[in-house]
Amino acid sequence: MFKILLINGLIIGGVYGLIALGYSLIYRASGLMSFAQGDMITLGAYLGLTFYSILRLPFFLSFILTFACAFIVGVLLEKGVIRALLNKSVLPIYIVLATIAISYIIQNATQALFGTTTLRFPQVFSTATLTISGITAQTEAFACLVISLALMFLLHLFMTKTKFGTAMRSAAMDPLAAESCGINTSMSTGITWALAAAIASIAGMLLGPMYGVYTTLGSVVGRKGFAGAVVGGYGNMYGAMVGGIILGLVETFVAGYWTGTYKNLIAYAILILFLFVKPTGIFNEKAIQDV
Amino acid sequence: MAKLLELIDFHYYYGNIHSVKGINMHVEEGEMVTLIGANGAGKTTTLQSISGLTKRKGIQGRILFNGKEIQTYPGSKVAGLGIAQALEGRHIFSKLTVDENLRMGAYLRKDTKNIKDDIDSVYKRFPRLLERRNQLGGTLSGGEQQMLAIGRCLLSRPKLMLLDEPSLGLAPLIVKEIFIAINEINREGTTVLFVEQNSKIALSTAHRGYVMQTGEIVMSDTCKNLMENTEVKKAYLGV
Repeated sequence: MFKILLINGLIIGGVYGLIALGYSLIYRASGLMSFAQGDMITLGAYLGLTFYSILRLPFFLSFILTFACAFIVGVLLEKGVIRALLNKSVLPIYIVLATIAISYIIQNATQALFGTTTLRFPQVFSTATLTISGITAQTEAFACLVISLALMFLLHLFMTKTKFGTAMRSAAMDPLAAESCGINTSMSTGITWALAAAIASIAGMLLGPMYGVYTTLGSVVGRKGFAGAVVGGYGNMYGAMVGGIILGLVETFVAGYWTGTYKNLIAYAILILFLFVKPTGIFNEKAIQDV
Repeated sequence: MAKLLELIDFHYYYGNIHSVKGINMHVEEGEMVTLIGANGAGKTTTLQSISGLTKRKGIQGRILFNGKEIQTYPGSKVAGLGIAQALEGRHIFSKLTVDENLRMGAYLRKDTKNIKDDIDSVYKRFPRLLERRNQLGGTLSGGEQQMLAIGRCLLSRPKLMLLDEPSLGLAPLIVKEIFIAINEINREGTTVLFVEQNSKIALSTAHRGYVMQTGEIVMSDTCKNLMENTEVKKAYLGV
Protein backbone atom coordinates (compact mmCIF):
# COMPACT_ATOMS: atom_id res chain seq x y z
CA MET A 1 0.00 0.00 0.00
CA PHE A 2 2.65 2.54 1.04
CA LYS A 3 4.75 1.90 -2.04
CA ILE A 4 1.79 2.23 -4.37
CA LEU A 5 0.72 5.50 -2.79
CA LEU A 6 4.30 6.76 -2.89
CA ILE A 7 4.58 6.12 -6.63
CA ASN A 8 1.13 7.54 -7.35
CA GLY A 9 1.92 10.57 -5.24
CA LEU A 10 5.18 11.12 -7.11
CA ILE A 11 3.44 10.78 -10.46
CA ILE A 12 0.80 13.41 -9.77
CA GLY A 13 3.27 15.46 -7.75
CA GLY A 14 5.62 15.57 -10.71
CA VAL A 15 2.87 17.10 -12.82
CA TYR A 16 2.03 19.61 -10.08
CA GLY A 17 5.72 20.42 -9.94
CA LEU A 18 5.78 21.21 -13.67
CA ILE A 19 2.76 23.47 -13.31
CA ALA A 20 4.21 25.15 -10.22
CA LEU A 21 7.38 25.84 -12.21
CA GLY A 22 5.38 27.92 -14.67
CA TYR A 23 3.90 30.09 -11.92
CA SER A 24 7.30 30.64 -10.36
CA LEU A 25 9.04 31.48 -13.65
CA ILE A 26 6.38 34.08 -14.44
CA TYR A 27 6.57 35.59 -10.99
CA ARG A 28 10.35 35.84 -11.18
CA ALA A 29 10.35 37.43 -14.61
CA SER A 30 7.41 39.83 -14.29
CA GLY A 31 6.41 39.95 -10.63
CA LEU A 32 2.93 38.84 -11.66
CA MET A 33 0.59 35.92 -11.17
CA SER A 34 -1.16 34.65 -14.27
CA PHE A 35 -4.60 33.10 -13.91
CA ALA A 36 -4.27 31.88 -17.49
CA GLN A 37 -1.39 29.59 -16.50
CA GLY A 38 -3.76 26.72 -15.63
CA ASP A 39 -5.47 27.04 -19.00
CA MET A 40 -2.17 26.41 -20.74
CA ILE A 41 -2.57 22.88 -19.34
CA THR A 42 -6.00 22.61 -20.97
CA LEU A 43 -4.59 24.02 -24.16
CA GLY A 44 -1.77 21.48 -24.07
CA ALA A 45 -4.18 18.60 -23.52
CA TYR A 46 -6.34 19.63 -26.48
CA LEU A 47 -3.32 20.35 -28.67
CA GLY A 48 -1.87 16.95 -27.82
CA LEU A 49 -5.20 15.30 -28.51
CA THR A 50 -5.45 17.09 -31.86
CA PHE A 51 -1.97 16.14 -33.01
CA TYR A 52 -1.97 12.61 -31.65
CA SER A 53 -5.54 11.43 -31.91
CA ILE A 54 -7.11 13.52 -34.68
CA LEU A 55 -4.13 14.06 -36.98
CA ARG A 56 -2.64 10.68 -35.97
CA LEU A 57 0.92 11.96 -35.71
CA PRO A 58 3.49 9.95 -33.75
CA PHE A 59 3.45 10.60 -29.99
CA PHE A 60 6.91 12.14 -29.87
CA LEU A 61 6.14 14.52 -32.74
CA SER A 62 2.82 15.48 -31.12
CA PHE A 63 4.75 16.17 -27.95
CA ILE A 64 7.19 18.52 -29.73
CA LEU A 65 4.42 20.27 -31.67
CA THR A 66 2.35 20.82 -28.51
CA PHE A 67 5.40 22.29 -26.80
CA ALA A 68 6.08 24.57 -29.78
CA CYS A 69 2.48 25.77 -30.14
CA ALA A 70 2.13 26.55 -26.43
CA PHE A 71 5.49 28.32 -26.56
CA ILE A 72 4.13 30.64 -29.25
CA VAL A 73 0.89 31.19 -27.30
CA GLY A 74 3.02 32.17 -24.29
CA VAL A 75 5.01 34.72 -26.32
CA LEU A 76 1.82 36.18 -27.77
CA LEU A 77 0.24 36.41 -24.32
CA GLU A 78 3.23 38.29 -22.93
CA LYS A 79 3.80 40.57 -25.92
CA GLY A 80 0.17 41.12 -26.90
CA VAL A 81 -1.45 41.50 -23.50
CA ILE A 82 0.92 41.70 -20.56
CA ARG A 83 3.60 43.97 -22.06
CA ALA A 84 1.03 46.05 -23.90
CA LEU A 85 -0.67 46.77 -20.57
CA LEU A 86 2.64 47.33 -18.75
CA ASN A 87 3.61 49.89 -21.40
CA LYS A 88 0.41 51.76 -20.61
CA SER A 89 1.62 51.82 -16.98
CA VAL A 90 -1.46 49.91 -15.84
CA LEU A 91 -1.39 48.82 -12.17
CA PRO A 92 -0.28 45.18 -11.73
CA ILE A 93 -3.63 44.15 -10.25
CA TYR A 94 -5.40 45.01 -13.53
CA ILE A 95 -2.91 42.93 -15.46
CA VAL A 96 -3.66 40.01 -13.15
CA LEU A 97 -7.37 40.61 -13.77
CA ALA A 98 -6.71 40.63 -17.51
CA THR A 99 -5.24 37.13 -17.15
CA ILE A 100 -8.59 36.00 -15.66
CA ALA A 101 -10.25 37.23 -18.83
CA ILE A 102 -7.71 35.35 -20.94
CA SER A 103 -8.40 32.25 -18.85
CA TYR A 104 -12.13 32.35 -19.61
CA ILE A 105 -11.49 33.10 -23.26
CA ILE A 106 -9.35 29.96 -23.55
CA GLN A 107 -11.92 27.86 -21.68
CA ASN A 108 -14.77 29.07 -23.86
CA ALA A 109 -12.81 28.76 -27.05
CA THR A 110 -11.88 25.14 -26.32
CA GLN A 111 -15.51 24.45 -25.39
CA ALA A 112 -16.70 25.95 -28.68
CA LEU A 113 -14.21 23.87 -30.64
CA PHE A 114 -14.34 20.55 -28.79
CA GLY A 115 -17.67 20.57 -26.90
CA THR A 116 -18.44 19.99 -23.24
CA THR A 117 -17.93 16.24 -22.98
CA THR A 118 -14.75 14.81 -21.54
CA LEU A 119 -12.70 13.42 -24.40
CA ARG A 120 -10.69 10.25 -24.04
CA PHE A 121 -6.97 10.55 -24.78
CA PRO A 122 -6.09 7.34 -26.64
CA GLN A 123 -3.60 4.93 -25.16
CA VAL A 124 -0.03 5.85 -26.06
CA PHE A 125 1.84 2.66 -25.25
CA SER A 126 0.96 -0.80 -26.51
CA THR A 127 1.09 -2.29 -23.03
CA ALA A 128 -1.65 -0.77 -20.88
CA THR A 129 0.00 -1.37 -17.53
CA LEU A 130 3.53 -1.78 -16.33
CA THR A 131 4.80 -3.46 -13.17
CA ILE A 132 7.95 -2.05 -11.63
CA SER A 133 9.22 -3.65 -8.40
CA GLY A 134 5.79 -4.94 -7.48
CA ILE A 135 3.89 -1.77 -8.34
CA THR A 136 1.45 -1.86 -11.19
CA ALA A 137 0.28 1.35 -12.82
CA GLN A 138 -0.79 2.72 -16.18
CA THR A 139 2.25 2.85 -18.48
CA GLU A 140 1.43 6.50 -19.23
CA ALA A 141 1.61 7.23 -15.52
CA PHE A 142 5.18 5.93 -15.35
CA ALA A 143 6.05 7.86 -18.50
CA CYS A 144 4.55 10.92 -16.90
CA LEU A 145 6.87 10.65 -13.91
CA VAL A 146 9.94 10.13 -16.08
CA ILE A 147 9.06 13.02 -18.40
CA SER A 148 8.28 15.40 -15.51
CA LEU A 149 11.57 14.71 -13.80
CA ALA A 150 13.49 14.89 -17.07
CA LEU A 151 11.89 18.24 -17.96
CA MET A 152 12.76 19.64 -14.54
CA PHE A 153 16.35 18.51 -14.94
CA LEU A 154 16.59 19.96 -18.45
CA LEU A 155 15.17 23.27 -17.29
CA HIS A 156 17.67 23.34 -14.45
CA LEU A 157 20.52 22.75 -16.92
CA PHE A 158 19.20 25.39 -19.29
CA MET A 159 18.79 28.04 -16.60
CA THR A 160 22.12 27.49 -14.86
CA LYS A 161 24.54 26.11 -17.43
CA THR A 162 23.73 27.95 -20.64
CA LYS A 163 24.57 31.56 -21.39
CA PHE A 164 21.03 32.36 -22.47
CA GLY A 165 19.47 30.73 -19.40
CA THR A 166 21.81 32.65 -17.12
CA ALA A 167 20.91 35.84 -19.00
CA MET A 168 17.22 35.09 -18.42
CA ARG A 169 17.84 34.70 -14.70
CA SER A 170 19.88 37.91 -14.71
CA ALA A 171 17.06 39.78 -16.42
CA ALA A 172 14.65 38.53 -13.75
CA MET A 173 17.06 39.44 -10.94
CA ASP A 174 17.95 42.94 -12.10
CA PRO A 175 16.43 44.14 -15.39
CA LEU A 176 18.33 47.43 -15.41
CA ALA A 177 21.73 45.80 -15.00
CA ALA A 178 20.83 43.06 -17.48
CA GLU A 179 19.81 45.61 -20.09
CA SER A 180 23.09 47.48 -19.58
CA CYS A 181 24.95 44.20 -20.20
CA GLY A 182 23.24 43.99 -23.58
CA ILE A 183 20.57 41.48 -22.61
CA ASN A 184 17.27 42.18 -24.35
CA THR A 185 15.13 42.02 -21.21
CA SER A 186 11.87 42.41 -23.07
CA MET A 187 12.63 39.35 -25.19
CA SER A 188 13.86 37.46 -22.15
CA THR A 189 10.58 38.07 -20.30
CA GLY A 190 8.61 36.95 -23.35
CA ILE A 191 10.60 33.73 -23.53
CA THR A 192 10.04 33.11 -19.82
CA TRP A 193 6.26 33.29 -20.30
CA ALA A 194 6.61 31.09 -23.34
CA LEU A 195 8.55 28.46 -21.39
CA ALA A 196 5.98 28.58 -18.58
CA ALA A 197 3.19 27.97 -21.11
CA ALA A 198 5.09 25.23 -22.91
CA ILE A 199 5.89 23.34 -19.70
CA ALA A 200 2.24 23.59 -18.60
CA SER A 201 1.11 22.30 -21.99
CA ILE A 202 3.30 19.23 -21.50
CA ALA A 203 1.69 18.72 -18.09
CA GLY A 204 -1.67 18.82 -19.88
CA MET A 205 -0.56 16.29 -22.43
CA LEU A 206 0.67 13.99 -19.65
CA LEU A 207 -2.57 14.32 -17.68
CA GLY A 208 -4.75 13.64 -20.72
CA PRO A 209 -4.41 9.83 -20.72
CA MET A 210 -4.99 9.67 -16.94
CA TYR A 211 -7.78 12.24 -16.40
CA GLY A 212 -9.37 12.64 -19.82
CA VAL A 213 -9.49 15.98 -21.61
CA TYR A 214 -12.06 18.64 -20.67
CA THR A 215 -12.21 22.43 -20.71
CA THR A 216 -11.73 23.03 -16.98
CA LEU A 217 -8.98 20.41 -16.59
CA GLY A 218 -6.36 23.15 -16.36
CA SER A 219 -8.12 25.43 -13.92
CA VAL A 220 -8.64 22.51 -11.50
CA VAL A 221 -5.10 21.15 -11.71
CA GLY A 222 -3.59 24.60 -12.15
CA ARG A 223 -4.74 25.63 -8.69
CA LYS A 224 -2.87 22.64 -7.27
CA GLY A 225 0.26 23.69 -9.09
CA PHE A 226 -0.13 27.20 -7.72
CA ALA A 227 -0.43 25.81 -4.19
CA GLY A 228 2.70 23.76 -4.82
CA ALA A 229 4.59 26.87 -5.92
CA VAL A 230 3.59 28.70 -2.73
CA VAL A 231 4.53 25.78 -0.50
CA GLY A 232 7.95 25.55 -2.13
CA GLY A 233 8.58 29.30 -1.99
CA TYR A 234 6.84 31.42 -4.61
CA GLY A 235 9.24 32.43 -7.35
CA ASN A 236 11.82 29.76 -6.59
CA MET A 237 12.32 27.27 -9.41
CA TYR A 238 13.46 24.40 -7.22
CA GLY A 239 10.89 25.25 -4.56
CA ALA A 240 8.18 24.86 -7.21
CA MET A 241 9.38 21.37 -8.15
CA VAL A 242 9.65 20.22 -4.53
CA GLY A 243 6.43 21.96 -3.44
CA GLY A 244 4.48 20.36 -6.26
CA ILE A 245 5.80 16.91 -5.45
CA ILE A 246 5.04 17.36 -1.74
CA LEU A 247 1.49 18.43 -2.54
CA GLY A 248 1.00 15.40 -4.78
CA LEU A 249 2.31 13.07 -2.08
CA VAL A 250 0.17 14.58 0.69
CA GLU A 251 -2.93 14.46 -1.46
CA THR A 252 -2.36 10.83 -2.43
CA PHE A 253 -1.59 9.70 1.10
CA VAL A 254 -4.64 11.50 2.51
CA ALA A 255 -6.81 9.83 -0.11
CA GLY A 256 -5.21 6.43 0.47
CA TYR A 257 -5.08 6.25 4.24
CA TRP A 258 -7.99 8.45 5.15
CA THR A 259 -10.54 9.67 2.66
CA GLY A 260 -10.70 10.84 -0.92
CA THR A 261 -13.39 13.37 -0.02
CA TYR A 262 -11.00 15.58 1.87
CA LYS A 263 -7.92 15.34 -0.28
CA ASN A 264 -8.47 18.75 -1.94
CA LEU A 265 -9.44 20.34 1.33
CA ILE A 266 -6.21 19.13 2.92
CA ALA A 267 -4.15 20.36 -0.03
CA TYR A 268 -5.51 23.90 0.29
CA ALA A 269 -5.37 23.80 4.09
CA ILE A 270 -1.62 23.26 3.64
CA LEU A 271 -1.49 26.28 1.33
CA ILE A 272 -3.14 28.52 3.94
CA LEU A 273 -1.01 27.05 6.69
CA PHE A 274 2.16 27.89 4.77
CA LEU A 275 0.99 31.43 4.09
CA PHE A 276 0.52 31.98 7.81
CA VAL A 277 3.45 30.06 9.24
CA LYS A 278 6.08 30.18 6.51
CA PRO A 279 5.09 32.50 3.67
CA THR A 280 8.56 32.24 2.21
CA GLY A 281 8.01 28.52 1.58
CA ILE A 282 10.38 25.62 1.94
CA PHE A 283 13.10 27.33 -0.11
CA ASN A 284 12.79 30.55 1.85
CA GLU A 285 11.99 32.73 -1.17
CA LYS A 286 11.16 36.24 0.00
CA ALA A 287 8.46 36.75 -2.60
CA ILE A 288 6.51 39.28 -0.63
CA GLN A 289 9.28 41.78 0.05
CA ASP A 290 10.99 41.29 -3.28
CA VAL A 291 11.04 44.33 -5.55
CA MET B 1 40.57 64.87 -30.95
CA ALA B 2 37.27 63.43 -32.07
CA LYS B 3 34.09 63.76 -30.05
CA LEU B 4 33.09 60.25 -28.96
CA LEU B 5 29.94 61.35 -27.17
CA GLU B 6 27.92 64.48 -27.62
CA LEU B 7 24.66 65.68 -26.08
CA ILE B 8 22.94 68.46 -28.03
CA ASP B 9 20.15 70.44 -26.36
CA PHE B 10 19.23 67.37 -24.34
CA HIS B 11 16.04 67.47 -22.27
CA TYR B 12 14.41 64.83 -20.13
CA TYR B 13 10.81 64.74 -18.98
CA TYR B 14 9.33 62.40 -16.38
CA GLY B 15 5.73 62.99 -17.42
CA ASN B 16 5.21 66.69 -16.67
CA ILE B 17 8.39 67.09 -14.68
CA HIS B 18 11.11 68.74 -16.74
CA SER B 19 14.13 67.20 -15.06
CA VAL B 20 16.95 67.94 -17.52
CA LYS B 21 16.57 71.32 -19.21
CA GLY B 22 18.49 71.42 -22.44
CA ILE B 23 22.10 70.59 -21.70
CA ASN B 24 25.04 70.47 -24.11
CA MET B 25 28.08 68.41 -23.28
CA HIS B 26 30.64 66.20 -24.95
CA VAL B 27 33.36 63.67 -24.20
CA GLU B 28 36.38 63.35 -26.45
CA GLU B 29 38.04 60.08 -27.26
CA GLY B 30 40.45 59.04 -24.51
CA GLU B 31 39.19 61.68 -22.12
CA MET B 32 37.99 61.28 -18.57
CA VAL B 33 35.12 63.63 -17.79
CA THR B 34 33.09 64.07 -14.63
CA LEU B 35 29.60 65.38 -14.06
CA ILE B 36 29.19 66.73 -10.56
CA GLY B 37 26.28 68.29 -8.73
CA ALA B 38 23.90 67.89 -5.82
CA ASN B 39 21.30 65.19 -5.37
CA GLY B 40 18.43 65.51 -7.84
CA ALA B 41 20.35 67.70 -10.29
CA GLY B 42 19.62 65.25 -13.13
CA LYS B 43 23.02 63.54 -13.32
CA THR B 44 21.75 59.96 -13.17
CA THR B 45 18.95 60.73 -15.63
CA THR B 46 21.52 62.10 -18.06
CA LEU B 47 23.81 59.10 -17.70
CA GLN B 48 21.02 56.53 -17.98
CA SER B 49 19.62 58.33 -21.02
CA ILE B 50 22.96 57.91 -22.75
CA SER B 51 23.01 54.19 -21.97
CA GLY B 52 19.39 53.71 -23.02
CA LEU B 53 18.01 52.82 -19.60
CA THR B 54 15.49 55.65 -19.27
CA LYS B 55 12.13 55.59 -21.03
CA ARG B 56 12.88 56.81 -24.53
CA LYS B 57 9.74 58.93 -24.86
CA GLY B 58 10.99 61.28 -22.12
CA ILE B 59 13.93 62.41 -24.27
CA GLN B 60 14.10 65.56 -26.34
CA GLY B 61 17.22 66.63 -28.19
CA ARG B 62 20.02 64.50 -29.50
CA ILE B 63 22.60 62.09 -28.14
CA LEU B 64 25.42 61.32 -30.56
CA PHE B 65 27.86 58.46 -30.16
CA ASN B 66 30.62 58.40 -32.77
CA GLY B 67 28.50 60.91 -34.69
CA LYS B 68 25.46 58.62 -34.78
CA GLU B 69 22.14 59.49 -33.10
CA ILE B 70 21.38 56.95 -30.39
CA GLN B 71 18.64 58.62 -28.33
CA THR B 72 16.01 56.19 -29.63
CA TYR B 73 18.00 53.00 -28.94
CA PRO B 74 17.00 50.61 -26.15
CA GLY B 75 19.66 49.79 -23.55
CA SER B 76 20.66 46.42 -24.96
CA LYS B 77 21.35 48.03 -28.35
CA VAL B 78 23.40 50.86 -26.83
CA ALA B 79 25.47 48.25 -25.01
CA GLY B 80 26.21 46.68 -28.39
CA LEU B 81 27.76 49.94 -29.62
CA GLY B 82 30.44 49.79 -26.93
CA ILE B 83 28.94 51.79 -24.09
CA ALA B 84 29.07 50.11 -20.69
CA GLN B 85 27.64 51.43 -17.48
CA ALA B 86 28.30 50.74 -13.81
CA LEU B 87 25.00 51.73 -12.28
CA GLU B 88 24.40 53.74 -9.12
CA GLY B 89 24.05 51.29 -6.26
CA ARG B 90 26.17 48.80 -8.22
CA HIS B 91 23.36 46.45 -9.31
CA ILE B 92 25.30 43.22 -9.05
CA PHE B 93 23.34 40.07 -9.97
CA SER B 94 22.96 38.92 -6.39
CA LYS B 95 22.35 35.24 -7.09
CA LEU B 96 25.07 34.81 -9.69
CA THR B 97 28.65 34.12 -8.71
CA VAL B 98 31.39 36.70 -9.25
CA ASP B 99 32.55 34.71 -12.26
CA GLU B 100 29.03 34.52 -13.73
CA ASN B 101 28.53 38.25 -13.15
CA LEU B 102 31.65 38.97 -15.18
CA ARG B 103 30.53 36.62 -17.93
CA MET B 104 27.23 38.49 -18.20
CA GLY B 105 29.29 41.61 -18.92
CA ALA B 106 30.59 39.79 -21.99
CA TYR B 107 27.08 38.73 -23.04
CA LEU B 108 27.22 40.34 -26.49
CA ARG B 109 30.76 39.29 -27.35
CA LYS B 110 31.37 36.72 -30.03
CA ASP B 111 35.11 36.18 -29.39
CA THR B 112 34.52 33.55 -26.73
CA LYS B 113 38.15 32.53 -26.40
CA ASN B 114 39.35 36.01 -25.35
CA ILE B 115 36.74 36.32 -22.61
CA LYS B 116 38.68 34.04 -20.28
CA ASP B 117 41.78 36.27 -20.61
CA ASP B 118 39.74 39.39 -19.92
CA ILE B 119 38.25 37.81 -16.80
CA ASP B 120 41.76 36.99 -15.62
CA SER B 121 42.86 40.56 -16.21
CA VAL B 122 39.95 41.82 -14.07
CA TYR B 123 41.11 39.45 -11.32
CA LYS B 124 44.62 40.80 -11.70
CA ARG B 125 43.32 44.34 -11.33
CA PHE B 126 41.11 43.43 -8.35
CA PRO B 127 42.73 40.48 -6.55
CA ARG B 128 39.97 40.50 -3.93
CA LEU B 129 37.52 39.37 -6.60
CA LEU B 130 39.71 36.40 -7.45
CA GLU B 131 39.44 35.13 -3.88
CA ARG B 132 35.65 35.40 -4.15
CA ARG B 133 35.19 34.18 -7.70
CA ASN B 134 32.76 31.41 -6.77
CA GLN B 135 30.88 33.44 -4.17
CA LEU B 136 27.43 34.87 -4.92
CA GLY B 137 27.39 38.55 -5.86
CA GLY B 138 24.99 39.39 -3.05
CA THR B 139 27.47 38.23 -0.40
CA LEU B 140 30.20 40.71 -1.37
CA SER B 141 31.01 43.92 0.52
CA GLY B 142 30.10 47.26 -1.03
CA GLY B 143 33.65 47.88 -2.22
CA GLU B 144 33.95 44.44 -3.77
CA GLN B 145 30.60 44.92 -5.51
CA GLN B 146 31.82 48.20 -6.98
CA MET B 147 34.96 46.45 -8.25
CA LEU B 148 32.75 43.76 -9.74
CA ALA B 149 30.49 46.35 -11.38
CA ILE B 150 33.53 47.98 -12.98
CA GLY B 151 34.93 44.58 -13.95
CA ARG B 152 31.62 43.61 -15.54
CA CYS B 153 31.79 46.79 -17.65
CA LEU B 154 35.33 46.00 -18.75
CA LEU B 155 34.26 42.54 -19.92
CA SER B 156 32.32 44.16 -22.76
CA ARG B 157 35.55 45.87 -23.90
CA PRO B 158 33.79 49.22 -23.98
CA LYS B 159 34.81 52.31 -25.94
CA LEU B 160 33.01 54.46 -23.40
CA MET B 161 32.56 53.58 -19.77
CA LEU B 162 29.89 55.34 -17.73
CA LEU B 163 30.12 55.24 -13.95
CA ASP B 164 27.33 56.42 -11.69
CA GLU B 165 28.46 57.40 -8.19
CA PRO B 166 31.33 54.92 -7.88
CA SER B 167 32.15 56.19 -4.36
CA LEU B 168 28.62 55.88 -2.98
CA GLY B 169 28.54 54.36 0.50
CA LEU B 170 32.17 53.22 0.46
CA ALA B 171 34.92 53.74 3.04
CA PRO B 172 37.54 56.39 2.09
CA LEU B 173 40.31 53.83 1.58
CA ILE B 174 38.18 51.79 -0.82
CA VAL B 175 37.12 54.95 -2.66
CA LYS B 176 40.79 55.72 -3.23
CA GLU B 177 41.42 52.21 -4.55
CA ILE B 178 38.42 52.42 -6.90
CA PHE B 179 39.54 55.77 -8.31
CA ILE B 180 43.09 54.55 -8.84
CA ALA B 181 41.59 51.71 -10.90
CA ILE B 182 39.36 54.11 -12.88
CA ASN B 183 42.39 56.25 -13.62
CA GLU B 184 44.33 53.21 -14.85
CA ILE B 185 41.47 52.04 -17.04
CA ASN B 186 41.33 55.48 -18.65
CA ARG B 187 45.09 55.55 -19.21
CA GLU B 188 44.88 52.17 -20.89
CA GLY B 189 42.63 53.78 -23.50
CA THR B 190 39.00 53.59 -22.35
CA THR B 191 37.08 56.86 -22.45
CA VAL B 192 35.35 57.51 -19.13
CA LEU B 193 32.41 59.66 -18.08
CA PHE B 194 31.45 59.52 -14.44
CA VAL B 195 28.89 61.10 -12.18
CA GLU B 196 30.00 61.83 -8.64
CA GLN B 197 28.73 63.55 -5.52
CA ASN B 198 32.16 63.47 -3.95
CA SER B 199 33.33 66.51 -5.94
CA LYS B 200 36.76 66.56 -4.40
CA ILE B 201 37.83 63.15 -5.62
CA ALA B 202 35.95 63.66 -8.90
CA LEU B 203 37.76 66.89 -9.78
CA SER B 204 41.14 65.55 -8.73
CA THR B 205 40.73 62.45 -10.96
CA ALA B 206 39.08 63.65 -14.18
CA HIS B 207 40.44 65.93 -16.93
CA ARG B 208 37.34 68.05 -17.42
CA GLY B 209 34.19 68.59 -15.44
CA TYR B 210 30.62 69.75 -15.84
CA VAL B 211 28.69 71.16 -12.90
CA MET B 212 24.99 70.41 -12.95
CA GLN B 213 22.36 72.24 -10.95
CA THR B 214 18.60 71.55 -11.07
CA GLY B 215 18.67 70.17 -14.58
CA GLU B 216 21.10 72.64 -16.11
CA ILE B 217 24.82 72.79 -16.65
CA VAL B 218 26.02 75.88 -14.85
CA MET B 219 29.76 75.52 -15.39
CA SER B 220 32.20 73.54 -17.47
CA ASP B 221 35.95 73.72 -17.50
CA THR B 222 39.09 71.71 -16.89
CA CYS B 223 39.09 70.14 -13.43
CA LYS B 224 42.14 72.23 -12.51
CA ASN B 225 40.27 75.47 -13.18
CA LEU B 226 37.08 74.24 -11.53
CA MET B 227 38.97 73.41 -8.37
CA GLU B 228 40.25 76.98 -8.20
CA ASN B 229 36.87 78.53 -8.93
CA THR B 230 35.55 80.27 -5.81
CA GLU B 231 31.93 79.25 -6.42
CA VAL B 232 32.83 75.61 -6.88
CA LYS B 233 35.04 75.79 -3.83
CA LYS B 234 32.23 77.16 -1.73
CA ALA B 235 29.35 75.05 -3.02
CA TYR B 236 30.99 71.71 -3.76
CA LEU B 237 34.36 71.45 -2.11
CA GLY B 238 33.36 72.91 1.24
CA VAL B 239 36.45 75.09 1.46
